[in-house]
Formats: sequence, C-alpha cells, structure tokens
Amino acid sequence: MITNFKILFEILIGGEVEFIVIGGAAATAHGSARVTYDLDIVYRRTNENIKLLVDALAPHEPYLRGAPPGLPFKWSVETIRNGLNFTLVTTHGAIDLLGEVAGGGSYEDLYPAIVRKQFFGDELQCLNLEKLIATKRAAGRPKDFEVIAELESLREEQA
Amino acid sequence: MKDEQREGRSSIDDIIELYKKDVDRTLLRENLKLTVEQRFEQLMNMQVFVEEAHRAGRKLREAA
Repeated sequence: MITNFKILFEILIGGEVEFIVIGGAAATAHGSARVTYDLDIVYRRTNENIKLLVDALAPHEPYLRGAPPGLPFKWSVETIRNGLNFTLVTTHGAIDLLGEVAGGGSYEDLYPAIVRKQFFGDELQCLNLEKLIATKRAAGRPKDFEVIAELESLREEQA
Repeated sequence: MKDEQREGRSSIDDIIELYKKDVDRTLLRENLKLTVEQRFEQLMNMQVFVEEAHRAGRKLREAA
C-alpha cells in the first residue's frame, strides 16, 4: 500500500495534533534518499492531545496493521490511553503512533531536539538529524546500520 | 587508526564507517537541493514505482 504522507500530515496538522515526525519520514525531510513506507510519529500523551489524535484519524479507518480483519479493535481515547505504541494502517497508508521511542523517550523528552520544516504552508516538527541518529543508534538493530551511515553522511554534507 | 583515536569508539562505529563507503553522496547532494515538499513527492513517486515493480513481478511469477 502507498502511504500518502502529504494527506496524513494534513490530517494531523489540521486536527491540531501535537506530534513529532521521526524515523524514515524525518530522514526524508532531512534529505535521505531511502524509501520508507510508513509515517512514524511521537504523539504527546496528554488527555487533550489523545482526543485530538483520535478525532483526527477516526474518519480514516485506523486499524492494526497486519492484523486479520474483524478483530474487536476500537479506535478510541481509551484504547490510546491504555496503550502506548500503535502500528496502524489507514485509508491513506501506514502510520506508527509512538508514545515513547527507544533512546529518545516521550514527546516532551524529544521536543528540545525538534527542527521545524516548511511543508505546503504548514510547519512540521521533525526530530533533528543529531537526535534521529541517536535514536537509531539506541535501537541497535543491524538493519539500521545502513540508515545511520546515510544519516551521518547527510550530516557531513551539511557541515 | 591510532589507539587514542579509537578511544570511546565501539565496533558499531567501525561497521557504520564501512557502510558509509556505499552511500551515494551525489544523490544526497541532489536531495539537499530540493524543498521538503519535493523530497516527500519524490518519496511517494518511489513508492508507486516500487509497488508497480512488485506487481509486475507477481504477474510474471503467476504466468510462469
């Protein structure tokens, strides 16, 4: 499935959701040439923001990605409040909602490391390159070595 | 690499340095000339291309 990043960003920004773009989409914003298939965000876990997130995504049929159809998954404030990280598919593609990220922590922890990027008249809060590299390193997954190498090369190119 | 330069480095750093040799920096320099919007448009075009390639591959396998 194709993920329409533009529409997903519009939905979240339009819904006034507080979130930080991380992962492959943040890497793209910084100039990465790698193809990513899902949007990873860290959302702020306040009651108000969880409600905004639920309301914003509700019309777009969020469902557990890779799960068989027909499970009694209910997209609600309670579901988000009782969980932390959600791997979802919507009518506009794949989105991972993270309450916390390894090596980075919560929205509040990551907030000092954001950089604002202009995106079709809106502002996207993306994790800065330095922190993005740190979170990838903290994950310690061999599959991320190539990604880290590219991100560090990007940092060198911009120095 | 001298011992003092190695201090504080892990083997992961050495592995990442090896991977860096394969990074296409020309491509990165071209990407850095683009706006953020253009980078995401390019990403979505690549998704479509990869999806098409997978679809074509599946068709070929089914026909074989």
